[in-house]
Amino acid sequence: MNQLFQFLIRQKILLLFVFLELVNVWSIFKYDDFQHVIYLNTTNRWVASLLATSREIKTYHHLGEVNAQLALENARLRQEIFKLSAIEQPESKVPYFVSSAMLNRYAPLASKVIDQSTQMSQNYLTIDKGLLDGIKPGMAVISSTGVVGKVMSCTSNLSLVVSVLHVDNNVSAKIKSTGELGYIKWLGIQTEVVEMMDVSKYKKVLKGDTIVTSDYNVVFPPNIPIGIVAKIGLEKDKTFHQIKVMLLTNFSTLKYVYVIKNHLLDQQLKLESLKPKPE
Amino acid sequence: MGKSFQIKWVFIVFFSLITQVFILRDVALAHVAFCFIYLWIILKAPIQTPLFYVILGGFFIGWIVDIFYNTHGIHSLATVFIAFLRPVFFKILTPVNGYDERSSVSLSEMKALWFFPYIFVMLLTHHLILFLVESADATLFTYSLLRAFSSAILGTLVFGILELFNQKN
Repeated sequence: MNQLFQFLIRQKILLLFVFLELVNVWSIFKYDDFQHVIYLNTTNRWVASLLATSREIKTYHHLGEVNAQLALENARLRQEIFKLSAIEQPESKVPYFVSSAMLNRYAPLASKVIDQSTQMSQNYLTIDKGLLDGIKPGMAVISSTGVVGKVMSCTSNLSLVVSVLHVDNNVSAKIKSTGELGYIKWLGIQTEVVEMMDVSKYKKVLKGDTIVTSDYNVVFPPNIPIGIVAKIGLEKDKTFHQIKVMLLTNFSTLKYVYVIKNHLLDQQLKLESLKPKPE
Repeated sequence: MGKSFQIKWVFIVFFSLITQVFILRDVALAHVAFCFIYLWIILKAPIQTPLFYVILGGFFIGWIVDIFYNTHGIHSLATVFIAFLRPVFFKILTPVNGYDERSSVSLSEMKALWFFPYIFVMLLTHHLILFLVESADATLFTYSLLRAFSSAILGTLVFGILELFNQKN
């Protein structure tokens, strides 16, 4: 008996090794029974909470990716909105049908802003989609909050966008509540404020009215928000309102924009070029 | 065996496990090369550490990794196995009149010709057991071999780089 113990003590390492390996093998093969007894896996409460914390930290590194996905999702939803608003019509006694070409007129494409300026008097953005993605000069660019600008030129993978904050870039606009038409012009000073021109002083304008793109716009889809009326005055010539509009789009933090492809643009331009020129 | 030495070991054990289960868990180079940095503890344990404790340590470290990997014992199996074989590899790799004065496994105290084969053989043994038992499927045999070899090569590189930061002079 004593000899046996002596032997065991001498071979304790081998015995430990064999014992531990047997425990492991037993655990590997008996796992299904075993896991119900003690939860020695990631369903264990402490392990799960540790992993959850670590995932939370890692999530921050994926924010860019998540943003891109959300932008794509938004582009899809926006297309739905364009369709729905094309169907929706003011009350009219005449039956109105909207053609499918008209329904699918606008197709938004999410793209990322890779460079932009806001401090010049002529500001541009560079976005990461180009000719290969179907973008052409003249297309409208909007953000989730409002208008951004218009595509000026494209290379195969990138495009240059003329921002609304460009002294020569005017956008046809209307006052949402009354439908009064005018156009938006940036005066080149404050990056948050544009001016709405050509609104007659006899028309009613209220502070806080929303300014949207007009229905007669060649570039932008109708009813894209532009800004909020912040201040009303009179022009020097006293025929028009002087309306200061607070832009809804914050250009300095712009990350993702949507380029709007207008499938009927060619037809529209062709028709409009047929108009007789005034003498 | 000063106090700073013990603190250093607590630090190494803690951080290699944290790195393994939180960062390297989901990382695989080209889907085949995995890095098991927790083996650092077994590989670098001082040479005069009693084998009994190395094996026991390998068991518990393996279990901790198993818990996080949901592998219920496979890591532990492989780790205990290489812990047991460690002195055998020492004996094979050390020349007869070889280095008696050495106390730790390191590139600065040993020749690269000793250090890298040691790391590679240890890692390869571990990875072969790990991937073959884990796949447990004859059809995945070659794929498991590929994984074991590429992971062993990656591991040798990583441990070699880590060792460069560990030079005393």
